[in-house]
Amino acid sequence: MEECDLTVRIGKMTLKNPVVASSGTFGFGEEFEEFFDPSRLGAIITKGISLKPMAGNPPPRIFETVGGIINSIGLQNPGFQEFLRNKLPYCKGLKTHLIINFFGNTQTEYVELGRRFNDVAGISGLEMNISCPNVKRSGIVFGTDPQMAYRLVKAVRKSTTLTLIVKLSPNVTDIALMAKSVEEGGADAVSLVNTFRALAVNIHTKKPELGNIIGGLSGPAIKPVALRMVWEVGQAVSIPVIGMGGIMNAEDAIEFILVGASAVQIGTANLVNPKTGIEVIRGIKKYLIQNRIDRVEELIGTFG
Amino acid sequence: MPLQTDGMVVRNRRLRSCYFMLGIYCPPISDQIKAGQFVMLKVSDNPSLLLRRPFSVYKSYSLTHPHKRKRGHLFILYKKVGGGTERMTTLRKGQKVDLIGPLGNGFALPPLPSSANCVLIGGGVGIVSLYPLAEALEGTKLVVLIGGKTRNDILGVEDFRKLHSTILTATEDGSLGAQGTVVDLFVSKAKQFKKNEEYYIYACGPVPMLRALAGNVKSKKFICQVSLEARMGCGFGACWGCVVKTKQAKTPYQRVCQEGPVFRMEDIVWE
Repeated sequence: MEECDLTVRIGKMTLKNPVVASSGTFGFGEEFEEFFDPSRLGAIITKGISLKPMAGNPPPRIFETVGGIINSIGLQNPGFQEFLRNKLPYCKGLKTHLIINFFGNTQTEYVELGRRFNDVAGISGLEMNISCPNVKRSGIVFGTDPQMAYRLVKAVRKSTTLTLIVKLSPNVTDIALMAKSVEEGGADAVSLVNTFRALAVNIHTKKPELGNIIGGLSGPAIKPVALRMVWEVGQAVSIPVIGMGGIMNAEDAIEFILVGASAVQIGTANLVNPKTGIEVIRGIKKYLIQNRIDRVEELIGTFG
Repeated sequence: MPLQTDGMVVRNRRLRSCYFMLGIYCPPISDQIKAGQFVMLKVSDNPSLLLRRPFSVYKSYSLTHPHKRKRGHLFILYKKVGGGTERMTTLRKGQKVDLIGPLGNGFALPPLPSSANCVLIGGGVGIVSLYPLAEALEGTKLVVLIGGKTRNDILGVEDFRKLHSTILTATEDGSLGAQGTVVDLFVSKAKQFKKNEEYYIYACGPVPMLRALAGNVKSKKFICQVSLEARMGCGFGACWGCVVKTKQAKTPYQRVCQEGPVFRMEDIVWE
């Protein structure tokens, strides 16, 4: 097979390919090793980690809608210490970049986590979640106010020299403005979109389908909106953009790259077909060869 | 260990009313699946039905099974309840289906003497995961209680009978067996249980049924395992969508797909 260069650069990281497993849909990697070797991905992003363990939201936590799912997991995670003890050893052993998704309830907590992860060996980057729709008092406040987001990123930036990615919420009026704010704050890259705040109603019980009432919508249903947002952000900032939102196959991923994404994240699709990431890598390679493009980086933002 | 693999539909027939039996030739899974484990089935390539559906396996035949023609087959007894299962009814013989399995922990099966009292309690399609368990428990003093809304919802009687078990049925409308729920039936049956003997209880069905049962098996003489049904995202532990509240202090919400689907009755917080 002909060779083509799939490497992309995100901050200080050079990814061997642009396909990344998205936080919250890939566990800590080990859940997938029966299906394929997670080391083959460009990077994996862990489930979101907080300073203290979090119990998460009451069930039901997941509901299928047309072409999508609404989830309200509520950032259940074992907390920093337990993650280091029980989950990091496996993740660290993978031969790919390890990116830690993290979040706090206050600026102080975000900064503290940035500082702590900075001192942990085996981590390539951090993805700051300022946008989870499922937890009260958390990221969503930072994720919807450009000034607060700027200040938060600026503070976290000082705490770590790791590649710092900020994950943006789509639940805003102007996502390009949010992206510019976090770029000014010192982010190395932005990733978008997180899920859309959503609701599902049961007409028989007249109750919500989710224990938390509100959840976040993901899956192919959101892809066109996500594409538009990635395109807008790509034009507004000069740092790399990592695109996601309903990517189910290589064609979807290529669309995101064309509108400006340097890398893509596979989320919901991992749950349906755990091998999606590998299939997307293969499909991108095939597309490059068919179109006589030597390097995937030549493809980024060539739409329009 | 779970794997993702294609199987081939060998039959898909209506049993009665909204109940169907789907047979799949899938040796990699049928060869290793244990009582109480499940599979995640992709019911359609159409992304509008995005998620896989979890199904207990009713019967499975290993590659060394004495009946040569049955080897490598597994059977899913399912109820048509929504868009996904409706699509499933259109699967035809010869079609390929994408499966992940075997998943979850099956029933804990310590070796039991032939004098052991085993009581299986199934509501509706809950009997599906109990059938392979009954096969594993054959030779003990096995009683199977089967419940449903009407006589049409009483499934598996002929199959359980072949395993030399005592079968009792209950229907809410009284159209077959005792009138009432399967838990009512259990309560009346339990009155005849011997005081100084242990009873191994295995139950599967909807949450309200299991919750009702929980209130009636608190005595130390009952050793009770329950197999839970839950909406699932992935089925293999990645998404934490299918959790149930347990009495575990550190991580109260445990995954039905990974730590379950079978739990000890006393570990669950029935809300």
